[in-house]
Order: sequence, then structure tokens, then C-alpha cells
Amino acid sequence: MTNETALYALWLLPLAGAIALWAFGPALKRGAGWLGSAVVLVSFVLAAALFGAVTGGPGGVHAPLVTWTAGFAFGLQLDPLSLLWTLIITGVGGLIHVYAIGYMWSDRAIARFFAYLNFFVFAMLTLVLSDNVVGLLVGWGLVGLASYFLIGFWFYKPSAVAAARKAFVINVFGDLGIMYAVFALYAATGSIAFADVFAKAGTLSSGLVVAICVGLFIGAAAKSAQVPLHTWLPDAMEGPTPVSALIHAATMVTAGVYLVARFAPLFSSSPAAQEMVAVVGGLTMVTGAVLGVAQWDIKRILAYSTMSQIGYMIMGVGVGAYQAGVLHFFTHAFFKAQLFLGAGIIIHALHDEQDVRKMGGLYFRMKFAFWAMLLGTLAICGFPFFSGFYSKDAIVYGALEHGHPVLFLAGVLTAGLTAYYMFRMLFVTFFGPYRGEVPDEMLGIAPQAQPAHEEEHGSHAPAWLMQAPVAILMVPTVVAGYVLWGGAASPWYRYFGSTFAAGENGPLAAPLVPEWASTLLVLALVTAGIVVAYLRYGAPAARADAVARLGREAAGMPVALRRAFWVDDLLAALFVRPLQAFGELIARTLDPHVIDAGVRDFAWLAGALGAIFRRLQTGLVRGYALTIVIGAAGFIAYFALLGGAK
Amino acid sequence: MSVDLANYVALSGVMFFVGVAGVIVRRNPLIMLMAIELMFNAANLALVAFARAWVANAGHVFVFLVITVAAAEAAIGLAIVVAVFRRAKNVDVDEVASMHG
Repeated sequence: MTNETALYALWLLPLAGAIALWAFGPALKRGAGWLGSAVVLVSFVLAAALFGAVTGGPGGVHAPLVTWTAGFAFGLQLDPLSLLWTLIITGVGGLIHVYAIGYMWSDRAIARFFAYLNFFVFAMLTLVLSDNVVGLLVGWGLVGLASYFLIGFWFYKPSAVAAARKAFVINVFGDLGIMYAVFALYAATGSIAFADVFAKAGTLSSGLVVAICVGLFIGAAAKSAQVPLHTWLPDAMEGPTPVSALIHAATMVTAGVYLVARFAPLFSSSPAAQEMVAVVGGLTMVTGAVLGVAQWDIKRILAYSTMSQIGYMIMGVGVGAYQAGVLHFFTHAFFKAQLFLGAGIIIHALHDEQDVRKMGGLYFRMKFAFWAMLLGTLAICGFPFFSGFYSKDAIVYGALEHGHPVLFLAGVLTAGLTAYYMFRMLFVTFFGPYRGEVPDEMLGIAPQAQPAHEEEHGSHAPAWLMQAPVAILMVPTVVAGYVLWGGAASPWYRYFGSTFAAGENGPLAAPLVPEWASTLLVLALVTAGIVVAYLRYGAPAARADAVARLGREAAGMPVALRRAFWVDDLLAALFVRPLQAFGELIARTLDPHVIDAGVRDFAWLAGALGAIFRRLQTGLVRGYALTIVIGAAGFIAYFALLGGAK
Repeated sequence: MSVDLANYVALSGVMFFVGVAGVIVRRNPLIMLMAIELMFNAANLALVAFARAWVANAGHVFVFLVITVAAAEAAIGLAIVVAVFRRAKNVDVDEVASMHG
């Protein structure tokens, strides 16, 4: 098999899986899950087999698809950047597929679920493998569609449908930004291929570059849940937990990071655009962490932490520290997938209970889930020698190196907040008394109705099916950061080689503090965060009256945090309600009085004309015959009298 | 011996108007069909007469066409009359007017 064939195959296999599952899935029952997992894992093996071909020579592997006209050619391209994403999408994605077989074991629609998952993998691969801006946009739109399908997978829950719609609308808004950027790029350079576009990037006017970067970044911000387009991500947790792990943590939401890294030559040539990306990333990083402190739903805690960590990544690629930002994507994919899958084990065991206030004491019931969550938490906090430690440190120090001391401080502060809210979740979930039987009011939980799941009871998935993928993820969760050992000669920098040569900012600012001081500062805040979380939730005194404390905390939660800084309300006031009011106005005026009225009037006209002409239809044959005779006589008279014939 | 063309045309005209009057005046569908047949043959007579006078054989050919169509028309017409008679139990075309507007 040539490299090109392998590339076509790894791209198309998930699509073939999705089509097969759509067509024959229901007949396969749980075999659908195995088929869906198998195609993704085969894709992973193919991508891994191409590793040598990509790192060996310049340009990686390129496979043409179709050419419309000169400059409008579609193809697939596997370079270090897209290979990294491909390996994560198919590798972590494959593990999540296997996990999902256990998680969706008793769901009737398991075939539909895996069809969507495979379709998502295909869409995501289209996004990262495209060698041109249009193919990227197509993949970009398709992952949004797959996300819509999967958030609304349990479509009998009104909240899931609303969340799916919200995610889709916000993402389509982002797609518009990319679309305009793509139009502008094609108009300015006459080609859609990345290679041609970047070759001509230097000839574009700086205003045009900024405009294109803004368009691209609107798309990146919507897809990667950056402020103020982040509100769909917490709501997206309505989807099944494997979906949250795959789409809303490991892969799709990091597409914005990929986009900025892919367009590094463009962003790097415009300091204003870079500044915008870095600042929005930093703002998201802080906002996500602050809101993570105030959440009670275990998946929402993780969702806000995802948002915050993507903020780190975007800030990293924004300041020009591309390798650092992409490294955080790499490590985050492992530990966040692990955290979500661990949370999924808990949620599954507690029959869809997601509120950490109703948990507690789970350490004694689920030791495996505890260790999985502990490793993930240590990694995301940046605890020394765990993967997140290296990547987060690289971003924070990178911000300083590239002359952004404020973002550096924000990054340090957010690291402390991250440690606090993650250990808060860990202590509340796993220690103290089990509060599943405590009445909701005592814990400050607002009453809400949840429709029951459509589940087939009877058989349970074997425990290893959900534990094995998590156990495998534990390894990279700990060691993934070691790729950075060796500084500039580390495997990570050698892997990317010259990928970001043009993208790196030239001269670096003299850092205010040396790297070891930056690391120590981060560690100090992380330690402080863990200690505060321990004192408030983990210490024996806190555990003893956990119910009263949690109830008090829930009741005393500041409104700003409870309403998530009113961003949802702001968006509703600015866009949703005006549009709804406009729609209602149209429905009251234009629709009944112009459109409907027009149709009604035409119907009335036809009826009125019919009422006149029906009188001619007497049913008397003589009448008709006489009419014909009169007509014929008229004709003859016309020709006879006026001499029609020459 | 030959007959003047005008005589043929006059006879044809008379036959045609007898047919027209029959269709308009009579209510029995069988008689109406016969009247229609009369009009066909009036036209045939005119065609044949002109064809002979001007030595144009297309006229003869048309006559055969008209005879064929007339036969088909008679077959369908009679079938309709039989069908209507089965339903309505009378053969007055003025009574068979349930489709009027």
C-alpha cells in the first residue's frame, strides 16, 4: 500500500463505517459499537504507519482528490500538524468509541450513536487533512453538524434539543467568519491551497490580513468556546458523556487551536491579529476557571475547565508560542478525555446523577474511577511530572517570553484557580459522607423534572469495557509531557522541525523572570489552590458537616457566578430576543397580510372566475352543438365577408 | 356525361345542415349519432367532388381517413350510449346532465 492509498483509506474508513451503520446498524445491535470502534482504530493504525513518512521528508504525504480549475484543487495533506491531530482524533477517539460500547450498552439507539460518532471522526479528519481552505471549511461545517446530532442525541429531552440548537447556531455564526475569510483569501491570492496562500501571504496588505485573521478567529472562537461565544459548551454537556469526552474536550473544540496554528504564517504577519487572539484566549482562560469554581454538575465543571484550558492553548498560539499551544492540545486531549470518561463511570454507576452534591464518599465504592480522576486532575492542575505541568508551563512562560506579562500573570493565577476547582470536585465527589439520599432542598438543589431514559434493562456491560480505555489513557496522561525533555532539541521541537519556522515571532522579549522562577510561581499557586480546596472540602472538619456546608455554599453563590457573568442573558438580549421579536412581527404583519393574503386572493380570483364560467356548462348537448355552429358560422362569415383568402 | 361541381357542393351543404339540425333538435343519442354520420359524409362528398374536379388524389385519401375515424367514433359513441342507458334507464340526452356546472 502506498502512502497515498493509506491516507485515502484512513480518511474514508470512518465515512464507510458511518454509512454502514446507518444502513445496517440496527441489525447489528451491540456489534454496531464494535464495527464503529474498529474502523476508527484501523484509521489510527494507518495514521501511525505514516508517521515515518511525515517526519522523514519535507511536505509530508500529499494525496490529490479533484481539481476544478487552476487554483481550485482539493487534496489531502498529512504534515506534522495534521498528523498530530489525526493521531489524537483516531487514537483517543478510538478508545472513546470502545468506552462508549459500555456506556451506551443499554441504549436502544446504539447503532445511530455510533453512526454519528463515525461521521464525526470523518468530518474532523476532513477538517485537519484538507490541503486547502475550502476543504477545511467543509470539515469545519460537518463537525458542527456532527456535534449537533450528538448533543441532541437524547432528543426526547427538551434541554438536549435546546442545547444542540444553541451549539449549532453559534457555530454557524463562526462558520460565516471563516467563509468570508476564505472568500477574501481566494480573491486575493487566486488559489485555495494552503501552500499557495501562504506563499503569497507577504504580498497582502496589512489591513486585508487583519480582516482575514478576524474572520478566521471568529470561527475559531465559536468552535473553541472562546469568550463571548462560549455559552454553548456548558450546555453541550446534555449529550452522552463519551460525546463530551470526544467532541467537547479532546478534538472538535480544539479545532480553533488547529486553525490558528495552521494559519500561523498569516497570523504571525499581523501583530494586531495576534494580540486579539492572545487576549481573547487569556480572557477565556480566566473566565472559564472562575466559572468552574461555581459549578455543581460534574460535567459542567469539566466543561468550564475545558473552556479554560482551550483558553490557554489559544493564548499560546496567539502570543506566537505555537509549539507550546499545540503541546497543551496534545496533553489536554489525554487528561481531559480521561477526566470525562472517569466522570462517565461515576454517572453511569449512579444512574445519571451528575450533581456532585448528591455524590460524596465514592472513593470507597469506585476506587478505579477515583484513581482515574486523580491522575487526570493532577495532570490538568500542572502537578510536577504530570503531562499538564510541561505544556501549561510552556504556554505561561511563552507568554512572558513573547512580551505579554499581563497574560503571563493571568496564566499563573488561572493555574491556581484550576487546582482549586478541580480538587474541590475531587474532594466533594469522592470524600465525606455519601449524600445520594439527602433531600435536594438541604443541598440547595433546585427542583427539576427529567424524563426517563429509553433504556433496555436486563444486561449490564462488562466493567472492563469502560475501564480499559481509561486505564490506557492513564499512561499518556502522566507521560505525554515528557516529549518536551531536552529543551530545543526535545522530540517535540524536532517533530515539528520547520513547521512553525515562519510562524515563530522573531526576536523574543527579555523575560522579566527566568523560566525556573516562572515554574516555581505556577507551582506555588497550584499548591495554594490544592490547600484551599483541601481546607474547604477535604479536611476532616469540612467532611463532617459536608451537607450543611454545601447547602450554605449553594445558597450563598454570588448571582454573577450563578448566571455565568450574564453572558447568556447578554446574548439573549442582544441577538436572540430582537430576532424573536422581529420574527413575531413578521408573523403578525408580513406573513398574514402580504404573503398569505396574496395566496388567498389568487384562490378567490380563481373561484370567482369559475363561478362565472360554470354557468356555460349547462349539461345540454344541444347547447354545445349550437355554440359550435355559431362559431363555425362566424368563421365562415369572417372569411366570406372580409376576404381572408387571397 | 358529367355533373356540375356546384351540384355536388350544394348537395353536400344540404346534407351537412340536415345533420347539424339533427344534432341540435333531436334528444335521442342514437339519432344524434346518425346525424353526425350524415355530417361526416357530407364532408366526404365535398372532398371527393373537389378531388375529382381538380385531380388531386389527397382528397380521396382523406375520405378513407374520415370513414375510419367515423367508424371508431360510432363504436365509442354507441358504447357510451349503452353505458349511460344502463345507469340512467333512459336515452334522453337532456336528462343525462349530472355533470353540469
